[in-house]
Amino acid sequence: MLLIFQEEKLRTRNPYRALGFGFCLAGAIFAPVSYFIVSSVPLTAIGLSAIMIGLTAIALASSRPALSPESCEVMLRTGMENMSALIEELGLRSKAIYLPSSMREGKAQAVIPLVDNGNLTQVKGKIPGRLIVRYGSNPEDMAIAVSTPGSINIGMLESRPGPTASEIEAAASYVLSGLLDLADSVTVNLSNGRVNAEVNGSRIRYEDIWFYRCLGSPLASIIAAISSEALEKPVRILEEKQERGKSRVVIEVLS
Amino acid sequence: MTIFNKYLMTLVLAASMVNIFLAFFKQNSLEIYFVVNILSYLIITLLYVYINPRARAALNAISAILFGGFMVIVIIKVLEIIY
Repeated sequence: MLLIFQEEKLRTRNPYRALGFGFCLAGAIFAPVSYFIVSSVPLTAIGLSAIMIGLTAIALASSRPALSPESCEVMLRTGMENMSALIEELGLRSKAIYLPSSMREGKAQAVIPLVDNGNLTQVKGKIPGRLIVRYGSNPEDMAIAVSTPGSINIGMLESRPGPTASEIEAAASYVLSGLLDLADSVTVNLSNGRVNAEVNGSRIRYEDIWFYRCLGSPLASIIAAISSEALEKPVRILEEKQERGKSRVVIEVLS
Repeated sequence: MTIFNKYLMTLVLAASMVNIFLAFFKQNSLEIYFVVNILSYLIITLLYVYINPRARAALNAISAILFGGFMVIVIIKVLEIIY
């Protein structure tokens, strides 16, 4: 009962639904009054346009999740804090290597080498789907495998992106702008074994914290996971900068 | 501004521009207003390719209904010309 009440409360809080009903009601009153009483065709057309836009707003409202942004933030923070605690407790300082799903038994993930500056060219072939994994032949080539915001989003893509800059850009724009609404636009360039991405209108700020230094911000993580999946190669976030509302992410393609 | 807000703002601006433009040229046929509004709606909806799949499905349903209305007007006009 409480859940039904809460869901109903969330529905009424949806601004697109309220806007849509407002437009539809205004249009439904305005159009016949303009046509039959005022006898004005342009005003009738405005009424019809209002109904069309109202129906569109109602359609958009139905596609929004029932969970509130506040509850999503709580869940995101919980996951991030647990991951940060694990990384800090293990003293991991090396940058995460994002692996395509073909190297991780069908699930795109990232591995964090236990030893800093390990031999990264050794990351080849299939890596077993466990938490602590060996990625090379040397005894120190050990890492922990974790899921990242980027690796979760790979499953949301309708099809696997191709290895060109335009296909990576399309996939990143689809996830960041269309699905998650985290940014306005994304531009991707491929050069010298690097993926350079520029994110405009980012709604997530980069923070100089251990978690971000290791796995990258959620934005960089998503672009790295998509690049890795598209190129079918392991990648690593080399650099991340934020200046004047733009985020620049440089990703190194390994092996 | 989120993608939904941008999309709605574009629709509102396009509808306003179309209606003002046609009224400026003293167009007095409701069919013309309706058809041009539907065309602008369909073009803008197609241009927003990054809208999420759930919203896209709902918008496709509305587009199909509007396209049906557009076709009805076209067929009526063609029949008027033929007979």
